[in-house]
Amino acid sequence: MTRPARQKESRSLGLYARLLELYPPAFLQRHRAEMLQNFADLEDAAASKAALWLLIGKDLTMSLISHFFASRLGTYVIGVLVAWILLFAIGYLRYGSTPGHPALHAFGGFLLGMLSMYIATRLYGTPQNSSYVIGVLVASISIFTIGYLRYGSTPGHPALQVFGGFLLGMLSIYIKILLISSQST
Amino acid sequence: MSKSKPPLPLTPAVFHILLALFGKERHGYDIMQQVKADSADAVKMGPGTLYGSLDRMIEAGLVAKGNTQDPRRIYYRLTALGQTTLRAETERLSRAALVARRQLGSA
Repeated sequence: MTRPARQKESRSLGLYARLLELYPPAFLQRHRAEMLQNFADLEDAAASKAALWLLIGKDLTMSLISHFFASRLGTYVIGVLVAWILLFAIGYLRYGSTPGHPALHAFGGFLLGMLSMYIATRLYGTPQNSSYVIGVLVASISIFTIGYLRYGSTPGHPALQVFGGFLLGMLSIYIKILLISSQST
Repeated sequence: MSKSKPPLPLTPAVFHILLALFGKERHGYDIMQQVKADSADAVKMGPGTLYGSLDRMIEAGLVAKGNTQDPRRIYYRLTALGQTTLRAETERLSRAALVARRQLGSA
Protein backbone atom coordinates (compact mmCIF):
# COMPACT_ATOMS: atom_id res chain seq x y z
CA MET A 1 0.00 0.00 0.00
CA THR A 2 2.64 2.52 1.07
CA ARG A 3 5.18 3.10 -1.63
CA PRO A 4 8.32 5.18 -1.29
CA ALA A 5 7.67 8.88 -1.78
CA ARG A 6 8.57 10.04 -5.24
CA GLN A 7 7.28 12.50 -7.78
CA LYS A 8 7.03 11.35 -11.34
CA GLU A 9 7.72 14.30 -13.59
CA SER A 10 4.99 14.67 -16.17
CA ARG A 11 3.10 17.39 -17.96
CA SER A 12 0.03 16.52 -15.90
CA LEU A 13 1.99 16.99 -12.68
CA GLY A 14 3.32 20.32 -13.96
CA LEU A 15 -0.20 21.46 -14.78
CA TYR A 16 -1.49 20.32 -11.41
CA ALA A 17 1.35 22.19 -9.66
CA ARG A 18 0.27 25.33 -11.54
CA LEU A 19 -3.39 24.83 -10.60
CA LEU A 20 -2.45 24.40 -6.95
CA GLU A 21 -1.49 28.08 -6.96
CA LEU A 22 -5.22 28.85 -6.91
CA TYR A 23 -5.39 27.67 -3.28
CA PRO A 24 -4.73 30.12 -0.44
CA PRO A 25 -0.99 30.47 0.33
CA ALA A 26 -1.32 29.28 3.96
CA PHE A 27 -3.04 26.07 2.83
CA LEU A 28 -0.37 25.47 0.18
CA GLN A 29 2.40 26.04 2.69
CA ARG A 30 0.98 23.19 4.79
CA HIS A 31 0.04 20.73 2.05
CA ARG A 32 1.71 21.48 -1.31
CA ALA A 33 4.32 18.70 -1.07
CA GLU A 34 1.73 16.15 0.07
CA MET A 35 -0.73 17.13 -2.66
CA LEU A 36 1.88 16.85 -5.40
CA GLN A 37 2.93 13.46 -4.09
CA ASN A 38 -0.70 12.33 -3.95
CA PHE A 39 -1.23 13.48 -7.52
CA ALA A 40 1.81 11.51 -8.66
CA ASP A 41 0.43 8.42 -6.86
CA LEU A 42 -3.02 8.92 -8.36
CA GLU A 43 -1.47 9.33 -11.80
CA ASP A 44 0.46 6.08 -11.39
CA ALA A 45 -2.69 4.22 -10.38
CA ALA A 46 -5.17 5.89 -12.79
CA ALA A 47 -6.79 3.75 -15.47
CA SER A 48 -6.64 6.70 -17.89
CA LYS A 49 -5.75 10.39 -17.99
CA ALA A 50 -9.44 11.18 -18.46
CA ALA A 51 -10.38 9.36 -15.25
CA LEU A 52 -7.57 11.10 -13.38
CA TRP A 53 -8.54 14.58 -14.54
CA LEU A 54 -12.22 13.92 -13.94
CA LEU A 55 -11.45 13.20 -10.28
CA ILE A 56 -8.98 16.09 -9.98
CA GLY A 57 -11.26 18.54 -11.81
CA LYS A 58 -14.16 17.77 -9.49
CA ASP A 59 -11.90 17.90 -6.45
CA LEU A 60 -10.34 21.23 -7.45
CA THR A 61 -13.71 22.80 -8.20
CA MET A 62 -15.35 21.72 -4.96
CA SER A 63 -12.41 22.46 -2.67
CA LEU A 64 -11.56 25.81 -4.29
CA ILE A 65 -15.17 26.97 -3.95
CA SER A 66 -15.14 25.85 -0.33
CA HIS A 67 -11.86 27.71 0.36
CA PHE A 68 -13.03 30.80 -1.48
CA PHE A 69 -16.33 31.16 0.37
CA ALA A 70 -14.65 30.48 3.71
CA SER A 71 -12.19 33.35 3.11
CA ARG A 72 -12.70 37.04 3.89
CA LEU A 73 -12.41 37.78 0.17
CA GLY A 74 -15.19 35.27 -0.51
CA THR A 75 -17.43 36.97 2.02
CA TYR A 76 -16.69 40.29 0.35
CA VAL A 77 -17.54 38.92 -3.11
CA ILE A 78 -20.82 37.51 -1.80
CA GLY A 79 -21.59 40.93 -0.28
CA VAL A 80 -20.87 42.66 -3.61
CA LEU A 81 -23.04 40.18 -5.53
CA VAL A 82 -25.92 40.59 -3.09
CA ALA A 83 -25.65 44.38 -3.42
CA TRP A 84 -25.73 44.09 -7.23
CA ILE A 85 -28.71 41.75 -7.12
CA LEU A 86 -30.57 44.16 -4.82
CA LEU A 87 -29.82 47.05 -7.18
CA PHE A 88 -31.11 45.05 -10.13
CA ALA A 89 -34.19 43.96 -8.20
CA ILE A 90 -34.98 47.59 -7.31
CA GLY A 91 -34.35 48.61 -10.94
CA TYR A 92 -36.60 45.82 -12.19
CA LEU A 93 -39.42 46.77 -9.81
CA ARG A 94 -39.12 50.44 -10.73
CA TYR A 95 -38.51 50.24 -14.49
CA GLY A 96 -39.48 46.70 -15.47
CA SER A 97 -37.43 44.40 -17.68
CA THR A 98 -34.57 46.22 -19.40
CA PRO A 99 -32.69 43.80 -21.68
CA GLY A 100 -29.50 45.28 -23.07
CA HIS A 101 -29.51 47.95 -20.39
CA PRO A 102 -26.08 49.59 -19.81
CA ALA A 103 -26.14 48.48 -16.16
CA LEU A 104 -26.30 44.84 -17.30
CA HIS A 105 -23.26 45.31 -19.52
CA ALA A 106 -21.40 47.00 -16.66
CA PHE A 107 -22.42 44.20 -14.30
CA GLY A 108 -21.15 41.53 -16.70
CA GLY A 109 -17.87 43.39 -17.01
CA PHE A 110 -17.67 43.85 -13.25
CA LEU A 111 -18.03 40.11 -12.59
CA LEU A 112 -15.39 39.28 -15.21
CA GLY A 113 -13.07 41.90 -13.72
CA MET A 114 -13.44 40.51 -10.22
CA LEU A 115 -12.88 36.95 -11.42
CA SER A 116 -9.83 37.79 -13.53
CA MET A 117 -8.22 39.82 -10.74
CA TYR A 118 -8.85 37.04 -8.24
CA ILE A 119 -7.31 34.38 -10.52
CA ALA A 120 -4.38 36.67 -11.33
CA THR A 121 -3.57 37.27 -7.68
CA ARG A 122 -3.70 33.55 -6.99
CA LEU A 123 -1.48 32.71 -9.96
CA TYR A 124 0.94 35.64 -9.88
CA GLY A 125 1.00 36.65 -6.22
CA THR A 126 -0.34 39.61 -4.30
CA PRO A 127 -1.32 42.74 -6.18
CA GLN A 128 1.57 44.74 -4.74
CA ASN A 129 3.12 43.58 -7.99
CA SER A 130 0.61 45.25 -10.29
CA SER A 131 2.08 44.10 -13.62
CA TYR A 132 -1.15 42.18 -14.32
CA VAL A 133 -3.27 45.31 -13.84
CA ILE A 134 -0.97 47.32 -16.12
CA GLY A 135 -1.02 44.49 -18.68
CA VAL A 136 -4.83 44.44 -18.76
CA LEU A 137 -4.99 48.22 -19.08
CA VAL A 138 -2.50 48.27 -21.95
CA ALA A 139 -4.35 45.42 -23.72
CA SER A 140 -7.73 47.15 -23.24
CA ILE A 141 -6.46 50.53 -24.43
CA SER A 142 -4.92 48.85 -27.48
CA ILE A 143 -8.23 47.16 -28.31
CA PHE A 144 -10.14 50.42 -27.93
CA THR A 145 -7.59 52.31 -30.04
CA ILE A 146 -7.93 49.74 -32.82
CA GLY A 147 -11.75 49.98 -32.49
CA TYR A 148 -11.60 53.80 -32.63
CA LEU A 149 -9.36 53.80 -35.70
CA ARG A 150 -11.61 51.30 -37.45
CA TYR A 151 -15.10 52.49 -36.42
CA GLY A 152 -14.58 56.02 -35.14
CA SER A 153 -16.08 57.39 -31.93
CA THR A 154 -18.69 55.10 -30.32
CA PRO A 155 -20.02 56.81 -27.19
CA GLY A 156 -22.35 54.60 -25.17
CA HIS A 157 -21.17 51.48 -26.95
CA PRO A 158 -21.85 48.28 -24.94
CA ALA A 159 -18.18 47.35 -25.10
CA LEU A 160 -17.34 50.57 -23.23
CA GLN A 161 -19.87 49.69 -20.53
CA VAL A 162 -18.42 46.19 -20.18
CA PHE A 163 -14.91 47.64 -20.09
CA GLY A 164 -15.87 50.15 -17.39
CA GLY A 165 -17.46 47.41 -15.31
CA PHE A 166 -14.42 45.18 -15.85
CA LEU A 167 -12.03 47.83 -14.54
CA LEU A 168 -14.26 48.53 -11.55
CA GLY A 169 -14.47 44.81 -10.77
CA MET A 170 -10.69 44.48 -10.91
CA LEU A 171 -10.24 47.57 -8.79
CA SER A 172 -12.74 46.33 -6.24
CA ILE A 173 -10.87 43.04 -5.68
CA TYR A 174 -7.50 44.82 -5.82
CA ILE A 175 -8.47 47.21 -3.02
CA LYS A 176 -10.03 44.44 -0.94
CA ILE A 177 -6.90 42.24 -1.20
CA LEU A 178 -4.70 45.20 -0.24
CA LEU A 179 -6.92 45.87 2.78
CA ILE A 180 -6.85 42.21 3.83
CA SER A 181 -3.04 42.06 3.48
CA SER A 182 -2.55 45.30 5.46
CA GLN A 183 -4.87 44.01 8.24
CA SER A 184 -3.04 40.69 8.50
CA THR A 185 0.45 42.25 8.73
CA MET B 1 -16.18 23.18 16.94
CA SER B 2 -15.82 22.18 20.58
CA LYS B 3 -12.76 20.11 21.48
CA SER B 4 -14.55 18.12 24.19
CA LYS B 5 -17.88 17.15 22.66
CA PRO B 6 -18.25 15.03 19.49
CA PRO B 7 -19.45 17.32 16.68
CA LEU B 8 -22.32 15.24 15.28
CA PRO B 9 -23.64 14.53 12.71
CA LEU B 10 -20.51 14.19 10.60
CA THR B 11 -20.25 14.76 6.87
CA PRO B 12 -19.61 11.56 4.84
CA ALA B 13 -16.05 12.73 4.09
CA VAL B 14 -15.20 13.29 7.76
CA PHE B 15 -16.83 10.01 8.82
CA HIS B 16 -14.86 8.04 6.23
CA ILE B 17 -11.57 9.75 7.11
CA LEU B 18 -12.08 8.91 10.79
CA LEU B 19 -12.91 5.34 9.85
CA ALA B 20 -9.81 5.06 7.65
CA LEU B 21 -7.61 6.28 10.51
CA PHE B 22 -9.09 3.97 13.13
CA GLY B 23 -6.33 1.79 14.53
CA LYS B 24 -3.70 2.92 12.05
CA GLU B 25 -1.71 6.02 11.16
CA ARG B 26 -1.97 6.77 7.46
CA HIS B 27 -0.65 9.33 4.99
CA GLY B 28 -2.86 11.23 2.55
CA TYR B 29 -2.83 8.85 -0.40
CA ASP B 30 -3.33 5.88 1.89
CA ILE B 31 -6.36 7.61 3.45
CA MET B 32 -7.87 8.29 0.00
CA GLN B 33 -7.44 4.65 -1.01
CA GLN B 34 -8.88 3.36 2.26
CA VAL B 35 -11.89 5.68 2.01
CA LYS B 36 -12.50 4.48 -1.53
CA ALA B 37 -12.32 0.84 -0.41
CA ASP B 38 -14.45 1.32 2.74
CA SER B 39 -17.18 3.09 0.80
CA ALA B 40 -17.12 0.60 -2.09
CA ASP B 41 -16.10 3.42 -4.49
CA ALA B 42 -19.02 5.61 -3.38
CA VAL B 43 -16.75 8.28 -1.82
CA LYS B 44 -13.87 9.26 -4.09
CA MET B 45 -11.81 11.95 -2.48
CA GLY B 46 -9.16 14.10 -4.15
CA PRO B 47 -6.25 15.86 -2.43
CA GLY B 48 -8.01 19.24 -2.12
CA THR B 49 -11.04 17.79 -0.34
CA LEU B 50 -8.90 15.52 1.82
CA TYR B 51 -6.54 18.19 3.16
CA GLY B 52 -9.33 20.73 3.59
CA SER B 53 -11.17 18.19 5.74
CA LEU B 54 -8.01 17.18 7.62
CA ASP B 55 -7.28 20.83 8.49
CA ARG B 56 -10.78 21.24 9.94
CA MET B 57 -10.51 17.92 11.79
CA ILE B 58 -7.15 18.86 13.30
CA GLU B 59 -8.63 22.18 14.41
CA ALA B 60 -11.58 20.32 15.98
CA GLY B 61 -9.20 17.97 17.79
CA LEU B 62 -10.39 14.82 15.97
CA VAL B 63 -7.11 14.09 14.19
CA ALA B 64 -3.46 14.85 14.89
CA LYS B 65 -0.30 14.68 12.82
CA GLY B 66 1.88 11.63 13.41
CA ASN B 67 5.14 11.05 11.59
CA THR B 68 6.13 14.26 9.78
CA GLN B 69 9.69 13.38 8.75
CA ASP B 70 8.94 13.37 5.03
CA PRO B 71 6.90 16.47 4.05
CA ARG B 72 5.47 14.51 1.10
CA ARG B 73 4.23 11.70 3.33
CA ILE B 74 2.86 13.21 6.52
CA TYR B 75 1.02 10.66 8.65
CA TYR B 76 -2.22 11.37 10.47
CA ARG B 77 -3.76 9.58 13.45
CA LEU B 78 -7.00 9.64 15.41
CA THR B 79 -7.10 11.42 18.76
CA ALA B 80 -9.13 10.17 21.71
CA LEU B 81 -11.88 12.63 20.76
CA GLY B 82 -11.71 11.35 17.18
CA GLN B 83 -12.28 7.77 18.39
CA THR B 84 -15.18 8.84 20.64
CA THR B 85 -16.71 10.79 17.77
CA LEU B 86 -16.37 7.88 15.36
CA ARG B 87 -18.08 5.54 17.83
CA ALA B 88 -20.84 8.06 18.55
CA GLU B 89 -21.50 8.67 14.85
CA THR B 90 -21.55 4.93 14.14
CA GLU B 91 -24.13 4.51 16.91
CA ARG B 92 -26.20 7.38 15.52
CA LEU B 93 -26.13 5.91 12.01
CA SER B 94 -27.02 2.44 13.36
CA ARG B 95 -30.04 3.83 15.20
CA ALA B 96 -31.13 5.74 12.11
CA ALA B 97 -30.72 2.62 9.96
CA LEU B 98 -32.71 0.58 12.48
CA VAL B 99 -35.59 3.06 12.39
CA ALA B 100 -35.46 3.16 8.60
CA ARG B 101 -35.49 -0.65 8.34
CA ARG B 102 -38.42 -0.86 10.74
CA GLN B 103 -40.42 1.73 8.81
CA LEU B 104 -39.59 0.22 5.43
CA GLY B 105 -40.41 -3.26 6.72
CA SER B 106 -43.82 -2.17 7.96
CA ALA B 107 -44.67 -0.30 4.74
